[in-house]
Amino acid sequence: MLRKEINDLLTQTDTGTPMGDMFRQYWIPALLAKELPEDDCPPVRVKLLGERLIAFRDSKGRYGLIDEFCAHRGASLWFGRNEEGGLRCPYHGWKFDYTGQCIEVPSEPEESGFCEKIKLRGYPLIKIGDVLWTHMGDKENRPPEPEWEFAKVPPEQTYTSKRWQECNWLQAMEGGIDSSHVSFLHSGSLASDPLFKGAKGNQYNQNDKKPVFEVVESDGGLYIGARRMAENDQYYWRITPWVMPSFTMVPPRGDHPVHGHFWIPIDDVNCWAWSFDYHPTRALTKEERQAMMDGYGVHNQYVPGTFRPRQNKDNDYLMDREAQKRGESYSGIWGIAMQDASLQESMGPIVDRTKENLVSTDNGIIMARHRLRKAAVALRDKGVMPPGRDTAHQQVRSAAKVLPQDQPFKEAMKEDLTVRPGVKQTSV
Amino acid sequence: MDLRELFFDPNHPTLLGSCARAATAEEARFRVQYPNSRTRASRIFALDPAAAEAMYKITEAPWNGAHFLTLATQEAIDPEKTNASDLPLSHPDGSPARLDDEIDGADVVVLLATDGNAEGAAEVIARECFHRNIMCAGLALGGSAPQAKVDRVVNSMRRFARVLVVANDDDYIPAMLTALRA
Ligand code: FES
Ligand SMILES: [Fe+2]
Repeated sequence: MLRKEINDLLTQTDTGTPMGDMFRQYWIPALLAKELPEDDCPPVRVKLLGERLIAFRDSKGRYGLIDEFCAHRGASLWFGRNEEGGLRCPYHGWKFDYTGQCIEVPSEPEESGFCEKIKLRGYPLIKIGDVLWTHMGDKENRPPEPEWEFAKVPPEQTYTSKRWQECNWLQAMEGGIDSSHVSFLHSGSLASDPLFKGAKGNQYNQNDKKPVFEVVESDGGLYIGARRMAENDQYYWRITPWVMPSFTMVPPRGDHPVHGHFWIPIDDVNCWAWSFDYHPTRALTKEERQAMMDGYGVHNQYVPGTFRPRQNKDNDYLMDREAQKRGESYSGIWGIAMQDASLQESMGPIVDRTKENLVSTDNGIIMARHRLRKAAVALRDKGVMPPGRDTAHQQVRSAAKVLPQDQPFKEAMKEDLTVRPGVKQTSV
Repeated sequence: MDLRELFFDPNHPTLLGSCARAATAEEARFRVQYPNSRTRASRIFALDPAAAEAMYKITEAPWNGAHFLTLATQEAIDPEKTNASDLPLSHPDGSPARLDDEIDGADVVVLLATDGNAEGAAEVIARECFHRNIMCAGLALGGSAPQAKVDRVVNSMRRFARVLVVANDDDYIPAMLTALRA
């Protein structure tokens, strides 16, 4: 249960809200780099944190993320002509550069300098890895550029996708740290999904359906450990890191690529589920990359030409009761990503947490909300910068390992849970 | 995998409330319009003086019948020789409490600890929970203390708790108990 005021505080991210201000303290993923493939390519509409923006790449290769609407009379710049170092509104020809500065008002005498008085709101857009990142807060408090491992490894080692999810960001993110659903919802997929199957750790999952959880705070967020019995009275640990505000990683299986997510608010009732897969030390194989593009693992299939999943609420997520009966899919929904999304969307646009009945095994979620609330309030009341901006906080990895019973994972797995360039992930 | 395309069929219109599209804001008001749980019986045990102090800060708040108990001794408890009825416990007002009375019929037990000295008591409580199939959770406070100290607290509860949380600050106690409807 969460009181209504706190639920509102955590779920609302428009300009001027405490959580909205907090999201504006980070570099967040805004677009896939391939959405702006070349100079002067078509601009792309982007809505983030309740702001309607337009992204474009100008003739000199500079990326811009500016207000979608022309300062003259409010036409959408999506109709704009991206040419000669700026985006020109096709209505009356006003032109804006990649920072949002107006650089031409054709109706006014050029010498008047009138255009200097016109400026659209603009945010930086930088390419790191396969992602274009933006920082929507004050320039004075701009954090160092992000250094997440999935975005820093060579391109052949990494793959990123995004999908539109039709619900509030927080209930989507909570799915990423909710380790207790895996033994149920995704149980069919462990054995069949090409990006999961065959790992030794899967047997521990199958043999011990009642994991024990340990939730430990880290500098940037949390580690959520799930342990199951392994041979010789040892524990099989799976550790999920969460870094504020909304980065999560899935513990690895065998030598499969490691995956994780970002959950980014579009507005209060929609979010982007970003999903990445990478291997710290080797190129993804052709088969792996193909499987990701085909929607396996944490990825999904699309309505062609969109980022809307092919399985969506308009077609009941292509529910297949027969596959459920045959034991192929626990929920009858195909694919891990849509198994999660279908249920999270079914909770409603913003789940009413005053009505939920949490149990002790939900402590990862309880603690994440607690940390978010404290950070948002500290920022609002005292201007304290939230955790997760520091690039050191971003040097985390998920890990899976068998340990003797008396070893606390945070200490015993310290190195495994930290990015080590050139060293592969710790996995079973 | 063979997926049937189930696109909307204009000849068989579907009522909004009977398909996945009912997940809209307008439909949200038709959700859970009644209390869907009964009061839980929660028992919170502070296993050492610092844990008790952290707990006392919040016992006055209006809880849903949670009982707050402290270990009334700082002597080491030998779990082999201690029956449920022998574990010295007290209520916030100092009056004695009996473990079996307290946890009979409990739904959730939470152990609070700030040092690793109460492993024996934790075992006695957890053992009784185990026999009665009661969920036992451990909350180690002071996660920002030196690692060796935290390890001792965690190890003292690890074998018994199905969920273990290491929290940096005491304000996690009310956050967690509220979430659990204690
Ligand atoms: S069992 Fe968790 S939401 Fe239904
Ligand atoms: Fe999931």
